[in-house]
Amino acid sequence: MVTVRLFGMTKMLAGNQGTLSLALHDGKRVRDLVAVIEAAYPKIGELLQKKKVLLSVNQDIAHEDLEVKDGDEIALLPPFAGGSEGC
Amino acid sequence: MSLEQVTKADQPATDDEAMLVRVQREDFSIDEELRRVRARSKRIGGIAMFLGTARDRSKGKDVDGITFEHYEGMAQKKLREIRERALKDFDVIEMLVLHRYGAIGIGENIVLIIAGAEHRAEAFQACKWAIDELKQITPIWKLEHTPEGEVWVEEHP
Repeated sequence: MVTVRLFGMTKMLAGNQGTLSLALHDGKRVRDLVAVIEAAYPKIGELLQKKKVLLSVNQDIAHEDLEVKDGDEIALLPPFAGGSEGC
Repeated sequence: MSLEQVTKADQPATDDEAMLVRVQREDFSIDEELRRVRARSKRIGGIAMFLGTARDRSKGKDVDGITFEHYEGMAQKKLREIRERALKDFDVIEMLVLHRYGAIGIGENIVLIIAGAEHRAEAFQACKWAIDELKQITPIWKLEHTPEGEVWVEEHP
């Protein structure tokens, strides 16, 4: 099982869960994980496809070819909005 | 990015440096943070500061308050990267980067950047670069509370 941390609107799109626990059966790369997320949470999947939501592994934005290992810290990152609006 | 840069940004080198990059719930004192930067070097002759505050309008709509969520660990790492890149790429002597999280009332402080240089031009330049970069790379999200409900802010203005 892989645990994926959620933030901001991705949390809302997953029914206000803070994390997702997903089983990876068909491959161990980021693209395989994205496929699992797309199947279970189509709205999040669409945002991942449009690159509006990014996936990070161990606090770095991950490429789709990256291998996901046990114990990796994985998160879905919606568009950032730090600072204050218009600043 | 080199391994050395990654390692540097992963952990603050000293307690002083840890105080110069913070993500915290509580409000901050601008005077205290200015003193912190000035105390780092007597060579500082120009200080530029950016303070972001919570306003009551967003895209033409009323806002009653804001809640900031951050990715603990990664947010701090990105702010440390910003400070380190500013010190390396701009002619500044010191930089402080501070962002609040949690519930923030209208008019309250959100984010503070202080750049200390020998002269004003470098201080202004580094300060502007740092706040622009912060908004691009730091995993912090904003939930606006409006009379119509709560809205996650998706896009940078």
